Amino acid sequence: MMLNEMEAKRLFSQYGIRVNDGIGVKTPAEAADAAEKLGFPVVVKVLSGKIIHKSDMGLVALDIRTADCARGACERILTAARAIDPEATAVVEPMAPDGVAEVIIGGKRDPQFGPTVLFGLGGVFVEVFKDVSLRVAPVNHAIALKMIRETKGYTILKGFRGKQGADLDALADILVSISRLMMTREDVMELDVNPVIAYTHGAVAVDARVLLRDKD
Amino acid sequence: MNDHPLEPLLKPRSIAVVGASNVESKWGYKVLHNIISNSYKGSVYPVNPGEAAVQGLTSYASVRDIPGDVDLAVIIVPAPVVPGVIDDCGAKKVRAVVVITAGFSEVGPEGALLEQQLKEKVASYGMRMLGPNTMGFVNRGIGLNASIVPRMPPKGEISFISQSGALGLAIADWALGSRMGMNCIISTGNKADISEADLLEYFNADKDTWTIVMYIEGLKDGRRFMEAADRVRKPMLAIKAGVSQAGARAAASHTGSLAGSDALYDAAFRQCGVTRVEGVEEMFDAAMALATQPPATGNRVAILSNGGGMAIMASDACERRGMVVPPLNKYTKAGIARLLPAFASVKNPVDTVAKSDYNIYYEAMKTLLDDAEIDCVMVMYAHGGMTDAMEPAKAVIDVVREKFPKPVVAVWMGGEDIGEVARAFRKNRVPFYPVPERAAEALRGLIEYNVFLGREAKPE
Repeated sequence: MMLNEMEAKRLFSQYGIRVNDGIGVKTPAEAADAAEKLGFPVVVKVLSGKIIHKSDMGLVALDIRTADCARGACERILTAARAIDPEATAVVEPMAPDGVAEVIIGGKRDPQFGPTVLFGLGGVFVEVFKDVSLRVAPVNHAIALKMIRETKGYTILKGFRGKQGADLDALADILVSISRLMMTREDVMELDVNPVIAYTHGAVAVDARVLLRDKD
Repeated sequence: MNDHPLEPLLKPRSIAVVGASNVESKWGYKVLHNIISNSYKGSVYPVNPGEAAVQGLTSYASVRDIPGDVDLAVIIVPAPVVPGVIDDCGAKKVRAVVVITAGFSEVGPEGALLEQQLKEKVASYGMRMLGPNTMGFVNRGIGLNASIVPRMPPKGEISFISQSGALGLAIADWALGSRMGMNCIISTGNKADISEADLLEYFNADKDTWTIVMYIEGLKDGRRFMEAADRVRKPMLAIKAGVSQAGARAAASHTGSLAGSDALYDAAFRQCGVTRVEGVEEMFDAAMALATQPPATGNRVAILSNGGGMAIMASDACERRGMVVPPLNKYTKAGIARLLPAFASVKNPVDTVAKSDYNIYYEAMKTLLDDAEIDCVMVMYAHGGMTDAMEPAKAVIDVVREKFPKPVVAVWMGGEDIGEVARAFRKNRVPFYPVPERAAEALRGLIEYNVFLGREAKPE
């Protein structure tokens, strides 16, 4: 069973991970209200336990700057999404500012090794180059930092050509939290915190995916 | 005898061979023959209800009828009969069994059921079981060949744990051919009871084992393996074969698809101090160095050679594997220059300009090993037939005998004339390779092992 994004973020919050919380909405009107309440710019995304590749399917609207736009985006997203999942709703979130880089932090329960954790630089680094670092959990802060340094993407994270680097300690903290989550929540089979936006100070989880063991 | 639970299995004082046979083509013949035709000193009891004597020894109808105590029973009877034999062993208070018989979980659900039955029986009697579906084991240390391996390899310090029985056999034969010393060779079979983790624990405590090598297709309990490996304070090398298909299902997350089984084995091995190697040759090349040489505390290599071309190849091979071949300091240069003709320019690799006198090799090696900026030495000799290949080899043997706290690996290139040198190197515990690439791989193993000695601290 897949948790929807808001449920997944609630779970991460319980483990001390900073997330950009949003407001769940069921109608375009609610989306407009939520956007006003949060302040602009916002993001509108589909909320569904069934739809996995939401941005590939055009079910995410970024950088929305007016209530009208929020209403329109929500309408479009819900219409498209409900063709797949009739129970789909939406979430309005503050748009996270750009950071130094986007990273992916993950967890997986392996049949032989049990809980494992993963770190990688987001975008093409993960998707094309499979540039990731893995460990069997648990990991501590020092090992988490070592995982980060093992990836080729580290060159970008630590800052280059005079650019300021990302807050590696904040990223390591998230890795340790995910390790703790995987060690204590035996019903979690797989999870992605993707992307985590890494800033020069701090890091925020802006999207999340959690797969729970099917109850039989 | 120490009191490790696997001691009665691997160092038994007495053995019953259940299913022992007089028919030469049968496994029951071969196993008994192998046990009694080597230098094993314990008591051996054939069990076969149809014979009065097997291979000259009194045969017993059942394990229960054996007069003395029995530490180990080696079982080679048809699968359906095995549970009954285990009961006999239980009644006799046998402490360990090796079930060579096949036809269990490897053949399907029915066999798996039978295997589960064995596992429960063995546990209820407080016995330990190797197998089923194992080819047995060899413990060279006590001259015991409780396997179907026809000939035993020479005595050495490497112990080999193999999930593949056939590979275990081939390794034994190969070790014999290449005069590679071995201590134990164990075929784990289906691992219904004893797994790699148990054996790692045993070999860590076993003073006759200095290096542990493994062939693994799949671990049943990866976490238990890691915990056991993490406690081992000896070099461990493993081949992990078979890329699992379990991860091939459509993954619901990026992590699901990226954290595949093979990548995870890589990470897990590194976390618990196991060096993963690609193949058998690579594994034993490194094992030979690890079993005889101290670990390298850094990656700076000095190369000594009687020929330039070979030295350049060696230098490339080292650098490709993450080592450096640094320039020598002026003291080391001066120390070596006085050994060579005036026209020879001293640099690293050191080229002796075709000279291979005992004295040059001996003094040059010692000078390099004394250099604090050098962590390990690769000494080479290309045989042209004009000089005696044994002369510089003697120098290497004498230097290694002085036990410098730095590793030395040797490369002697040549054909038939090298045979005698190879024997001398093996006898004197000098890791020796026919080509520089393999020696470089062995050095990598020595360096990596040292890195593992400072393993990642485990989180609480």
